[in-house]
This record gives sequence, C-alpha cells and structure tokens, in this order.
Amino acid sequence: MLSRVADSLYWMSRYMERTDGILRMLKVNHHSSQDDPIGFTWQPVLKIFSNLDDEQIAGMEMNGRKVLQYMVVDRDNPNSVLNMVTKSRENARAVQDNITKELWQSLNEFYHVVRHERLEHSLKSDDPLTVLDSLVRQCMFYYGVTDNTMFRGEGLSFMNLGKYLERAIQSADILDVRFSDLSYDLEKSTDTTYWKYLLLSVSGYALYLKRYRSGFEARNVIDQVLFNVDFPRSVLYSLNQLHRHFGRLKDEQNMEGFAKVDFIIGKIRSKIQYSDVHSVNLTGLHNYLKELTTDFNEIGNALNQSYFANS
Amino acid sequence: MEAADLFQKYPHNPLVWDEMHAADSVRPQYQKVFDFLLDIPADELNKKEELAKRLFMSQGITFTVYSSGEGIEKIFPFDIIPRIITATEWQLIERGITQRLRALNLFLKDVYHQQFILKDGIVPVELVYSCPHFLREMQGVNVPYDIYVHIAGIDLIRDSDGTFYVLEDNLRTPSGVSYMIENREITKRIFPDLIPQNKVLPVTHYPNILYKNLVSFSPRQVAAPNVVLLTPGIYNSAYFEHTTLARLMGIELVEGRDLVVENHSVYMKTTSGLQQVDVIYRRVDDDFLDPLVFNPDSTLGVSGLLSAYRKGNVAIVNAIGNGVADDKAIYVYVPEMIRYYLNEEPILKNVPTLHLSKPDDQKHVLANINKMVIKKTNGSGGYGMLMGHVASDKEIEDYKKEILKDPRQFIAQPVISLSSAPCYINGKMQPRRIDLRPFALCGPSGIEIVPGGLTRVALREGSLVVNSSQGGGSKDTWVLA
Repeated sequence: MLSRVADSLYWMSRYMERTDGILRMLKVNHHSSQDDPIGFTWQPVLKIFSNLDDEQIAGMEMNGRKVLQYMVVDRDNPNSVLNMVTKSRENARAVQDNITKELWQSLNEFYHVVRHERLEHSLKSDDPLTVLDSLVRQCMFYYGVTDNTMFRGEGLSFMNLGKYLERAIQSADILDVRFSDLSYDLEKSTDTTYWKYLLLSVSGYALYLKRYRSGFEARNVIDQVLFNVDFPRSVLYSLNQLHRHFGRLKDEQNMEGFAKVDFIIGKIRSKIQYSDVHSVNLTGLHNYLKELTTDFNEIGNALNQSYFANS
Repeated sequence: MEAADLFQKYPHNPLVWDEMHAADSVRPQYQKVFDFLLDIPADELNKKEELAKRLFMSQGITFTVYSSGEGIEKIFPFDIIPRIITATEWQLIERGITQRLRALNLFLKDVYHQQFILKDGIVPVELVYSCPHFLREMQGVNVPYDIYVHIAGIDLIRDSDGTFYVLEDNLRTPSGVSYMIENREITKRIFPDLIPQNKVLPVTHYPNILYKNLVSFSPRQVAAPNVVLLTPGIYNSAYFEHTTLARLMGIELVEGRDLVVENHSVYMKTTSGLQQVDVIYRRVDDDFLDPLVFNPDSTLGVSGLLSAYRKGNVAIVNAIGNGVADDKAIYVYVPEMIRYYLNEEPILKNVPTLHLSKPDDQKHVLANINKMVIKKTNGSGGYGMLMGHVASDKEIEDYKKEILKDPRQFIAQPVISLSSAPCYINGKMQPRRIDLRPFALCGPSGIEIVPGGLTRVALREGSLVVNSSQGGGSKDTWVLA
C-alpha cells in the first residue's frame, strides 16, 4: 500500500473518531446544563476542544446555543464537527480507490449534512439533542459501513490504528480536564451527578453501575476509564486494540520499521497494563496523564517515520 | 400541465441539424424516447431531474471549486434527455476515427524518428519545429508497439446537413470518459425501462479494455505488472475521473510525491518499502512530468522520469510529446497525413481551417473576422477563443493585436453551426447545441472504441461553446444496436 494512502486512511479514521468524541461530549454536557443550571459551565469542553483564550471562553461558557454553534458548525474553529468531517472526507477523497464505495458515500453524505444551512438553523432553534443525535447516527453509520464493507487488509489496519490511538487520547483528555476541576484530588468529595456525566460522555455509565456497584467514587471512575479491559473506550482497551491491529502489519519487507513501532506500542501498553489507581495516585494523576499523552505522540511519530514516509 | 406541452413551440431552425426533429417529423431513432416523453407528466420529469442531481451529489461525482479558502462541490451539469446515435452513424464514426488515429500514430513515430513527412514536404518543417509541444527530448525514443496515442478523445460536430466533422484531436490527456460511464449509470436509474427497449449498447467495459492495454505496455515481463494512474491530486478539477478510473481498473492512484526514480527505474513508496512501477497512465501534462527536463518548478511530476522512460524502463500513457500532433495548426494537415501514410481518402472531414501565419490566409481572416471563429493553436477548454459573429468591436481590435504579435499561435475557422438536441430546461424541451467526444483506445491488438462517448451541451441559449469551463454540460450518449 502507498505510504500516502496509509497516511490518509489513518487520518480519515482519526478525524471521524474525534468527531464522534466531540459529539458525545456535547450531548452529555447539554444534558448536564439542563440538570444543573447553577453549577454547570461549558468551560471544560471549550478547554479541551478549542483554541480559544480564557477571555473568549468566559464570553461563551454560559451560552449553550453559542457553544454548540461554535463546536459544530463554526468554520473558524479548526476542531468544529464541520471541519473534522471535512478533513476526514478530504482524506477519504484522496484514497477513494482504496475504500469501498459505500464508505466513501457515507462520509460524503455526512459532509453534505454538516455543510447544509439547515443544520446551522436547527442548532439555533430546534432541540439540540435531536440535532446532535442525528449527527451521532451519521458516525454510527460510518462505523457500521466500515465494519461491514471494508475489506480486511492493510487499509483497515491503518484505519484501526488511527481510530484507537485517537480514542486513547480522547479518553485521557477527558479525565484530565474533568479532574482538573477537582485539582486532581481523588479524595475530594463531589456531587455524584458529576461522575454520572463523565461516564455518560464516554458511554461508560451502564458498565460502571454493573461493575462497581458501590456508588460513585473517583478511584473507580479512573479505574474504568484507564484500565478496564472490557470497556471499549478505556485507554488500556484502546492500546490493546492498537497493538492487535498493528500486529497484522507484520511484513518481511519492512521488518525494521515494524520492530521499531511494535517496541514502542508494546512498551506503552505494558506501562498502562501494569499500573493501577494506587500507582497513578503516587505519580499524580495529572503527571500520569501527561506522560500518556507524550507516549501517544511517540506512537504517532513512529508510524509517521516507518510507515507514512514522513520524517 | 399537459404532457404534450413539453414539445410545444420546440423551435425548428432550418440552418441547424436537430438530432431529434427532421423538418416535420421525429427521426426514427428518437421515436421511442419521444413517445415515452409524451406520456410522462411534467412533474415526473422534474422528479427525475432532482434524482439525477442527488445521485451525482451523494456519490461525489463532483468537482471542487475553491473560493476564499473553502471548497464548494459542484456538479458538472447533466441534461437527462439522452443523445441518440444510430448504428449507421456510429459505423462511420468508428471507421473515421480509427483511420485518423492510425495516421496520427504513424505521424508521431515519423516526426520523432526519420521525419519522412517533413522531408517530403507534406507538413511544413517550420510548423513542427515552432510547435511548443514538439519535444526534442523525444527524438529517437522508441515506445512500446510504436503506439503514442493510447487514448484519444476526438471531438466531432455536425454541420447543418448532418455531416460529421472533426473539430479537434485531443491526443494528450483527454478527459471526460468517467462522465460517459457515470452518465449511463444515472440514466439506468432515471429511465430504467428505456435502455433495454431501445437496445442501447453498453459502455461499462471501457476500463477493462484500457486495463488490458495498459498491462500489455509493461516493459518488464512479469506476471502482474505494476500499473498506476498518476494524478495531479485532489485539487485538479478532473480528480473525480482519476479516482473512478483507478477504482474501476483496480490500480493504484498515485501522485508525483509517491514516486521516486532510482537508477533509471521508477518506484512507488509503499508501507513495505519501494515497489517498482511498470506502466504510468498519467493525467499530468508533459510540462509538469519531470522537473529536471521540463518545468523546473513542477511539484506534480517525478525527477528523473524522462530518463527512465527513454531507457525503456517504464511505459508512459499517453506518450510524451503528443502535443505536436493535436496542435491546431498541424490539424490542418491530418487529411494529408491520411493520404500520405495510409494511401486512403479521409472518412471524416476536417473543418476548413486557415492558419494566420500564412499571409494570404491572414489577409482573408482579418477582412472577414465577423464570420470566423479564431482559436489559439495550443489552447483548450474554450479559453482564448474569439467568436467573430458575437464579439464586440473592441474585443476584435484587441484580438487582432494579439494575432499580429504572433500569427503562428492562431487559426481561424468559419462559424460552424453545431447540431442541436432537445434538452429539458425549465420544464420545457429546448434545442441546445452539442458535440461528441468518443474515446478511442489504441493497444497492441488494434484500435477499440466503446460505443458511446461524451456529448457536451452548450446550455446557454444560442451558445456554440460546449466546454465545461464555459457553462457547458453533458448528456448520456446512446449508440443503438
């Protein structure tokens, strides 16, 4: 497979994963804004997903409609859903001959949906949840089409690398921003709805109730989002998937590149696998998450060098 | 609205050949479609038009126009009423184009080797050597099977009596073939019954023939030669076509930056290292192919490509340097080439053409400029043309100055009135001018032309310019069995 094609597939997939992540965050935060109108602010969302400065954030954080507008359809926000989908589609367009027609059409249609003025209008006046749900469905459609039509091969492997790397980054980011509210103090008691929304935003609420029963505790939330191997959005799950899909790229032609990237992924995966909430607490949650981010970037760089012919 | 309204007031112009209407009857090849259209309610037709638009959009059969940093997706306008060609007409077209291509291929081989035709004074030497697309770098280079024009899109038009004329030979990187294929796919969706009823010949096998040919040009004798399509990239307006062809042939779509030349062989950069490339179907112009030899600023090409080509380590389709054969000043001599190389009379006529570097011609053209169409010999896309019968005095004066600066660059033709075909515009059938570009494929086993082509339509009323860059659209083109 052409290095450029692998690169585009990887980014197409990363941008879609990020789109999905942003939409979930928006959905849950919107819920939150309805339940807790006094304590709620959009500040954490804007902090993770925008480049706005504090002053701009302050001007927007209490206005849900404005935030949705900015996060979904704003053309000047590089992380808006519109720009994510556009980038994903642009990447898909450059590799149309390497994906199925159905996959291309699902992205192309998504693109036309997010660019249609109807969307901007409904974000202003309709029920935001209905609008966000319709966009999440486009993402689900993309995942379904990918899963059911994409041929099993190198291309799909690169798509999965992008997907799981991005997912690991997203989950770590969400923890980081949410816990910054609590000054990273795991013992600090807080309102249980706080944890409920964090878990909902990563689709982890139902699993949490079943697994941890004991009510909401910070250490359990961290355990689930970082280490729970049955939770498809946990960092460890994402790393396991990343490792599995990367293993399929083993190829005698590029043993050197493979060994190099495999080593890095394996090292980072083990590091997470052999940590627990206790050891995280010793390092400090913020420091631990910061290290993870650096590690994930290292994986991205290694792929760039050994597979995408970018140095 | 009554259905019969559709054709009411369909104007008949005795000076224009209409593909559907003879003086007071419908031509037999259009009868079935005509009857069908009489029966169909107008809003049904509007729905079909909508469906066609939606299909183009959702399948991404679009080109992107970039303005203020943002891409806007545009559809190449499509008229839903097919253009129909009879079996007899097609036979003539097929024979005529085959003959023309044989001669043009021989001309290219000759002009880049012994140059008999120049020495015999059939084609003026100065005309060839003054053509910017005549590449001395190609002198003495042998190409597989002596084929230079692997893919040709020769433009045909019809005069008022229905005679076909060749308007121009496109022998470099003719585009539009994906629209021949996609327009048919759309017609299958909007008129599902009409195609079998009319026994329309299929066009879907075009990519198969092309792929078979491409493989056969491979210089290496290997089981599966590596064939790639070289595109300028996603910003090119024909990008959709490049991806479609690559997908339909199952070959890799590459950009210049994906390729590298090492030791006079071409390789592509893959996730498992360098992989040798045998055949390049390029959609990048000569000028941008190799910055070491041609335009040094080009980032679309590959450094060293020409050396690999000259060594015979890679096949390039179409060959480099073909521009000398579709230069509009050389075009004048194609009938002579047919006589000279094949000892045959040309089957398809040329449009009478005057060349402004000849003093007599120039005098005549400047005196009768209102009745002429003047074109640049190396222009394309309908740019830089002067339509004498509609141009303002100022435009004519400015153009004259241009001509006198460098008369070699200009040719003049009488205003030919192009045939018309019914188009569905604003809820009515209206005649619009059309041309025809069939796509001919030249391989080791001969010349094949899939029955069909791209019919381009001048959608503006009264306009004679069909180029997409000038507000032209297209139609599905049916050749009947």
